[in-house]
Amino acid sequence: MERLGIIQRNESPTQGRYSVEVKHVSKSYGETEIYTDLHFQLLKGTFVALVGPIGSGKTTMLNMFAGLERPTSGTIIVMGQDITRMSQDSLGEFRATTIGLVPQVQTLIPELTVRENVELPLHFAKVDQESRQRKVDYVLEKVGIRGESKRVVSTLSVGEKQMVSFARAMVNDPPILLLDEPTESLDPLIAEVILGLLRGDNLTLGRTIFVTTHDRRVTDLARKTLRVKKKIP
Amino acid sequence: MSRGVSLQEGQLLVRSLNVSKSTHLLVASLAIAVSANAAAAIQLIGLMGQIALLVVIFVTVAVGTSAISSDIFARSSQTITNLRSIGANRSSISSAVFFSVIGYGVAGSALGAGAGAALGMALGGQGGAVSVLFAVLGVILASSAAAAAGVYAGGRGTWSD
Repeated sequence: MERLGIIQRNESPTQGRYSVEVKHVSKSYGETEIYTDLHFQLLKGTFVALVGPIGSGKTTMLNMFAGLERPTSGTIIVMGQDITRMSQDSLGEFRATTIGLVPQVQTLIPELTVRENVELPLHFAKVDQESRQRKVDYVLEKVGIRGESKRVVSTLSVGEKQMVSFARAMVNDPPILLLDEPTESLDPLIAEVILGLLRGDNLTLGRTIFVTTHDRRVTDLARKTLRVKKKIP
Repeated sequence: MSRGVSLQEGQLLVRSLNVSKSTHLLVASLAIAVSANAAAAIQLIGLMGQIALLVVIFVTVAVGTSAISSDIFARSSQTITNLRSIGANRSSISSAVFFSVIGYGVAGSALGAGAGAALGMALGGQGGAVSVLFAVLGVILASSAAAAAGVYAGGRGTWSD
């Protein structure tokens, strides 16, 4: 708990008000303690940046919100659903409909085209073909890569891949977007485009955005900043 | 949300997991080799021998296809992790691999059993047309069921919750 700087607290949560509720969560890897008794909530529609030194557990927290890692103890409720007690299959379905994830390491499928990569989460969410086409067209246009839709991902530049990742995360219009260092090692122009999209999504669509970052431009954009003070020993 | 996998989704998953023509060929070859030999031999032995042969077919094909299936999942573990992070679940990935591979197992079994039946007759199999037909069907069924069981078991053994 003391490793976190600013946190948004509310001791009497109101049902439906929060996108994420973290209740007495601890996380450790073997003997190494990452977080101890974390307890906070994120309001729906908020834009939160998580900052801190490299190796301080920022990605771990983001992964726990996505259900990719489980806490050692405690409960995490995302959009009203307790994800700490879900089976792996239920978590898959939950992610397909509720979470848009842009990980730090590229997780696109290199053999597939841009369009196919962006369309994948819609298949998993069992969206019908007509809606899939419409949603993919819309999001590719929105991030400015519709012209690249037939290109195989392995032929794209780092920046283009990040735009595809971003499009894939947003394609099913998830209520929560989780981004891990989204502007790291990007061309400043592409970073600006991503920041503009994040700002627009948060303001106009009320999407909850949780982002780990070292980038001052991102923290300036966020409405709240969580700070992990110390590096994990 | 319904379980299972649509055709288009299955094709995308199969391409993502790099299930290639080589894999299909390997499954078909295994089924052809086992079924051809079995369908020929089954015409030349007695009832107990035939039963023992069907058991051998089942075990051999099941172990082989299980290994192939495990290999697909093992070499694609990072891709599977990536797919799961965007919503894929065990059911959709397993189904995609299963349906991609099983057709080749069944086709290989049928082709091998047909060739083996002809070979058995040429070698002096004593059964009439009806008994040969039943023997061939038995081989196809045992081999196909084994391929299905093997692919399923290989995938299932890979997952952990």
